[in-house]
Amino acid sequence: MRSEGRRRTFVSLALVSPLALFLLVFFAAPLYTMMAAAVSDPIAARALPQTAEAIRSWDGETAPSAGVQAAFAGDIRNIDDDQLFGDLVRRLNSAKSGFRTLMSKTRSALRDDPSTTDLVAIDARWADPAFWQAIRSAAASTVTDRNLLAAVDLERSPAGRIQAMPEGTSANGTTLVRTFVVSLIVTAVCLVIGLPYAMIAASVTGWRRQLLLAAVLLPLWTSLLVRTAAWFILLQDNGLINSALMALGLTSAPLPLIFNRVGVVIAMSHVLLPFMVLPIFSVLIGIPKNLMPAAASLGAHPLRAFREVLLPLSTRGVVSGSLLVFMSALGYYITPALIGGAQDQMISSVIAYYATGAANWGMAGALGLVLLVATIILYTVYLRLSTDERVRQ
Amino acid sequence: MNESFIRFDKVSKAFGTLTVVDGLDLDIGKGEFVSMLGPSGSGKTTILMMLAGFENPTSGTIRVGGRQVDGLPPHRRNMGVVFQNYALFPHMSVAENIGFPLKMRRVSRAETGERVKRALDMVQLGHLAERRPAQLSGGQQQRVALARALVFEPEVVLMDEPLGALDKKLREQMQLDIRELHRRLGLTIVFVTHDQTEALTMSDRIAVFNHGKIEQIGEPAAIYDRPATRFVAEFIGETNFLTGTVTGVGGGHATVDIGNGRSVAVLAGQGLAAGATVGLSVRPERVRIGAGPARSNTVSGTVEDVVYHGDHLQVVLDADGQTLLVKADRAGSPVAIGDRLDVSFAPDECWVVGS
Amino acid sequence: MKALQLSKVVFGAAAVFFLLAPLAAILPLAFTDSVFLNYPMPGYSTRWFSELVSAEVWRRSIVNSLIIGSGTTLLATALGTLGALGLRGRTSSYLFAFVRTAFLIPMVVPAVVLGVGMQLMFARYNLTNTYLGVIIAHTVIAVPFVVINVLAVLQSIDPRLEQAAASLGAAPHTVLARVTLPLALPGIVSGAVFAFATSLDEVVLTLFVAGPNQRTLARQMFSSIRENISPAIAAAAFVFIVGTILIALALNLSRKSLGRRPAA
Repeated sequence: MRSEGRRRTFVSLALVSPLALFLLVFFAAPLYTMMAAAVSDPIAARALPQTAEAIRSWDGETAPSAGVQAAFAGDIRNIDDDQLFGDLVRRLNSAKSGFRTLMSKTRSALRDDPSTTDLVAIDARWADPAFWQAIRSAAASTVTDRNLLAAVDLERSPAGRIQAMPEGTSANGTTLVRTFVVSLIVTAVCLVIGLPYAMIAASVTGWRRQLLLAAVLLPLWTSLLVRTAAWFILLQDNGLINSALMALGLTSAPLPLIFNRVGVVIAMSHVLLPFMVLPIFSVLIGIPKNLMPAAASLGAHPLRAFREVLLPLSTRGVVSGSLLVFMSALGYYITPALIGGAQDQMISSVIAYYATGAANWGMAGALGLVLLVATIILYTVYLRLSTDERVRQ
Repeated sequence: MNESFIRFDKVSKAFGTLTVVDGLDLDIGKGEFVSMLGPSGSGKTTILMMLAGFENPTSGTIRVGGRQVDGLPPHRRNMGVVFQNYALFPHMSVAENIGFPLKMRRVSRAETGERVKRALDMVQLGHLAERRPAQLSGGQQQRVALARALVFEPEVVLMDEPLGALDKKLREQMQLDIRELHRRLGLTIVFVTHDQTEALTMSDRIAVFNHGKIEQIGEPAAIYDRPATRFVAEFIGETNFLTGTVTGVGGGHATVDIGNGRSVAVLAGQGLAAGATVGLSVRPERVRIGAGPARSNTVSGTVEDVVYHGDHLQVVLDADGQTLLVKADRAGSPVAIGDRLDVSFAPDECWVVGS
Repeated sequence: MKALQLSKVVFGAAAVFFLLAPLAAILPLAFTDSVFLNYPMPGYSTRWFSELVSAEVWRRSIVNSLIIGSGTTLLATALGTLGALGLRGRTSSYLFAFVRTAFLIPMVVPAVVLGVGMQLMFARYNLTNTYLGVIIAHTVIAVPFVVINVLAVLQSIDPRLEQAAASLGAAPHTVLARVTLPLALPGIVSGAVFAFATSLDEVVLTLFVAGPNQRTLARQMFSSIRENISPAIAAAAFVFIVGTILIALALNLSRKSLGRRPAA
């Protein structure tokens, strides 16, 4: 009679399959495409098939043999798609500068004389092994770790060793560090406000609790754009906050609150505060009301009772809330984009820049992968915590 | 019991490694009211669920009216089920709830209205037809559930602890009402309960379950007076359970030594031999204070406790290491803790159950 | 003890002020007659609301938001409700636990990451710069809210109600139509509202997959704040906040009336 169970499983599978399929195609596949873009490097291998074959036996020290040069010349002659040629030049130039002029010169020379294969005669730079090393590494494989390494400010030396990029060539590492720092500050601010807030909300009853909860939920339900616009209005140089400060005589000139780190932290903390308060609150209201009186009856001073009883019991809520806030802050785009200055852009802004501004899908994908992995790790920890909780209850 | 209408044939049910029903053989006659009685986890509800089609047996077959019903989905079994918490549809009115099974059977609108009205009158709720279940009291919901399970005139009515959520007074009233409906409509009812009084009051037969097996099945009086096992004796009502050794057998009776050389005469079934260790069951209300007439068994002991129960007193007696409960009349002579007391019971009121 | 009480009140009031003041600050500016989004307001007018309806970019974006929001709500509610029905009562199975997590994960993936992937992939299937593309993108992140809401209400339904219906002669599809779905309706409705709200507020994915013709209200607000901020933003924010409150009220009412609908 196992068939009954199997029939139920089949029905359940049939019910979940439309959504599963939808998410596979429109959620998992885009993420996969993004990750593939991060490591994909097919241009050189596609444009230079004969060269890739011939250069394999090259020793890498001296100028390559005539055979390799002939293969390369043949490949270049075979490229009639200008777009492909442009991509190839860009790809090679990103590995070693100088390719741009070298390639266009070589291509026109090879076109003018359909029989020549002597590249060094066209340009003396073809005698330099460095150019050939770049071609070999580009053509050798259709995948690359270049973007992933660049995402954390690393590169490969010509010999293939991973090394730090020269100072000042990439700002990705700085952006990553900044993203983590801003997220940590926002998490700390949310914790400092959110923990006492949740405790107060859990300790009162009636309309007071309703008010405190409504004050958390109303912003949560309000459009993120509206909240960001509101902060934009409040924080600007002649905005309400600066007007008030100046009217009170606390400052003579407007404080710089917008387009800098302060504004980003204030606005993001406001937006993410509910995610800190709600998990802590839900843990706190699960704690029996009579524990604090019990601690008092056993001789604990209220502050002592708080430290020894309430605080340890609320740890799980604090950890869940902090993870939630930190995880959300890492991927934030809109608030820093609108409230922050050029020096406050977080990793999401850089990804968006690479994708929409520079059309550098490789870098966008690589940074996206870093952000995705960080988020998934944090989410897994969060899930583990909340399932533990369910098991314990 | 007349000829078998519902037949369980070596039915077993396991969830994973846990066997809940173990090789059940059971026949239920048409028009019979059978109670399944047992502690929770004894398998009685699972048997009901298999009969209704919500669970399938792991092995064995179930027949109803000669037709094998295994694999038949619940909605094609034509059985009325009354659930523990009534399971009334909260989004439908009382009338819609009762009309639901008729709608499923494509009964015409006019006839549905007529039959719903009759069903409501039967449970005396005609005036509440348009209410929602949430607006009814527990007892009223119970009646609606009953009317809904009966309105389509099912072959069998299954009830799963239907009275468990009612208070004592209402429960006793409903017991009588259901029994009266059973008699009037000639229904075949399978009734699951863990309440022995309920089973004794209502049933034609009782099946006592323990660990997925039937310990004993029979008419209420037989179950009560002639319990087959210690489990049945203790589960149904209160009992004194004495142990002893058989010293002699003869004439439908046996003599049992219950310690300290004191012998009692008891009713004995077949196959009892001298030297066997046996258990004896004596109901507390069958034990009288004071020495009995000739041939009755007299035991003496020290009063350990006297508990006031309103209509009677419960006396706890220590008879040389064996504890005896006595249900004593309040009108009798006063008994105090520490008193030495003789009590007696007739041989016909003591039953050997095996230990 | 007194000092503790007092500090509780002061802190609570300050925090509530921090949470609500920004929302309160933006609302009156919707009625300014100045072109500056700032206080003090020289006078009152409804010109910015007229701007919202008359200016082509704003009007268009409101219409787009309604089109895309409705499409997202339909698609997400249908897919999410089916998914939740399939996941119901499947708590002990590892396979379905995995499916459940997979259904919820679009909620946590950073929008920019998803946006990059969608732009790349949607371009291949000519879905960028189409309404369908934007609706699909919004549905991906709206569907977890439907699953959560519907699953929660399904788990609160006593399975004995469905057993009762079956025992009374209802075939499985009848049980679904007459018992399960009517009882799950409040959860389906709130899931749909969440889906609509998610779509309405979505900016990042819209930036990546929508073309100029699919510019939504939120997307229009985003560029307006970025490029030329005007009180039209406050008017749009006013519409948003009032809309939020109305939806919350409607949800509350529908829950109550679904709870005790008069007999039909």
